[in-house]
Amino acid sequence: MGIMRMGYAHVRVTDMTEAKNHYASTLGLYETLEDTSPEGNKRVFYKGWDEWDHHSVVLEEGGVGVVKYGWKVENEADIEAIEKKAQTFGLTVERMAKGENPEVGDGIRFSTTSDHVFEVYHSQTAIGTEVGTHNPDPFPRHLVGVGVPALDHSLITCEDPKLMERLLMEVFDFYATERVQTSLDDDHDLVGTWLTSNNQIHQLAVIGGPQGKLHHFAFRLDDWSEVGHAADLLTMDDVSVDVTPTRHGITRGVTTYFFDPSGNRNEVFAGGYLAFPDRPTNVWTVDQLGQGIFYHARELNERFTSVLT
Amino acid sequence: MTTIIVQPSGTEIHIEPGDTVLAGLQKAGYAYTVGCRRGGCGICKIDVLEGTFSYCRPVADTVISEQERSDGTCLSCRAVPTDDVTIQLRDASLRLANPLLGQINARARERAKAASTAPEEQ
Ligand code: FES
Repeated sequence: MGIMRMGYAHVRVTDMTEAKNHYASTLGLYETLEDTSPEGNKRVFYKGWDEWDHHSVVLEEGGVGVVKYGWKVENEADIEAIEKKAQTFGLTVERMAKGENPEVGDGIRFSTTSDHVFEVYHSQTAIGTEVGTHNPDPFPRHLVGVGVPALDHSLITCEDPKLMERLLMEVFDFYATERVQTSLDDDHDLVGTWLTSNNQIHQLAVIGGPQGKLHHFAFRLDDWSEVGHAADLLTMDDVSVDVTPTRHGITRGVTTYFFDPSGNRNEVFAGGYLAFPDRPTNVWTVDQLGQGIFYHARELNERFTSVLT
Repeated sequence: MTTIIVQPSGTEIHIEPGDTVLAGLQKAGYAYTVGCRRGGCGICKIDVLEGTFSYCRPVADTVISEQERSDGTCLSCRAVPTDDVTIQLRDASLRLANPLLGQINARARERAKAASTAPEEQ
C-alpha cells in the first residue's frame, strides 16, 4: 500500500530539560533513546504507549520548528517505487543508509516543494506496545500525564499548497479528504488541503504560509472526554494552551491545541470520520474557514494562521 | 519597583520583579497579540525604546536574529526588564482586557511611587 503512516516527527527545541518535562511528564511519551546528533546536538527519542516502533517523536536541542518527517512504507519495494515517482515529479532524492537515524533502516530522503525534509523507510526496530499483543489490556495501568498513545498527523505551511498537494498525491499516492478553496469555480486557489493514504482522516495537512514551517504535530486520543481530560492536565502543568477543547468542521475531529516549552504547537486530536479514496472530498469555501477550523467559535483566532515555528 | 511605559499612549504599568514584559502586562489586565508565549513564534515582538531587559530562557536564533538582539527588538514573552522600560508595540494595540486587574495595578503603582518619593525620615 506504499505509505502506511507518518512514522516520526523530528522537531527542534530550545531547552531539552523543559522539553523532556513536557513530552515525557505532561504528554506521557516513553523515552527510548538519548544521544547526540552528528552535529553535536542533544537528542531524545520517544514513543507512545500504543506504538510498537522504536520512536515516533525526536527532539533535537537547538532552535524551534521541524527538522524532518519520517514516513513508513509497508513493503521494502515501496521505497524504490516512491523514489522513482519523486524523481519523475522532479525532486532530488538521496539514499539514506540504515543507522543514519538510530534504529531506522535504509530509505530515501528528499526535500519537498514546501521545503520540508521527508524520509521514507521500511524498517524501524520494533519495541512493542506497552500492552503487548497477547491478551492485551486496553491501556497501560500506569500512564503518565495525558498518556498519549500515538503520533497522529501534522500540519505544515508552504507558499504553494496546490503544488504540495500534487506532490503528495503523485509521489505518496495520498488523496485529499478535505480542501479549503477560494471558490467553487475551476480556477480556484487552494487555501488548504488535508490528505491521507488510508482510513485515517488526515496524515498531513498543508495550508498557505511561509515555506518550511511547522503549524503543529498532533497526538491521537479516543474521544471528547479524553480531550477534555488532556486540557485539564495541560492547565495543571501550566502548559500554554492555544485553543481549549472544540470541534473542527474540517475532519469533524475534536481537539485541543497547546504549545511545547519552545513554542512548537502540539495538538491532541480525537475522532474524525473514516476516510476512503472514493468518498467525495469535502470542500470548504474560504468565507467559512472559521467554522471549518473552529466549529463552535466560527471564527479563527488571531494566532491560528500566524503562529508558526 | 519596575515600570513599563507603553508608548505612544504613555500608559504606565507596574510589574513585579522577575516577570516577563508579557506576564507584567497581562497581570495588569492588558492584552495584545501574542502566540506561543514560549519564545518560539516571534509574534509578540515589541520595541524597547529605553531601558534594558534580559531573556529568562533560551530563545532560538531563528526567532530573534543577532541584530535584533542589540537593536531594541524584544520578545516580550521571554524578556524580563532589568529596570524601567519604555516600549512600543508593533502591529498590535494594547487593550485593557481586564479593568479589575487594571485598577489593582494602578493602585500598586501609586503606592510604589509614593514609597519611592517619600521624604527621608529625619
Ligand atoms: S508569543 Fe511566541 S515568541 Fe512570544
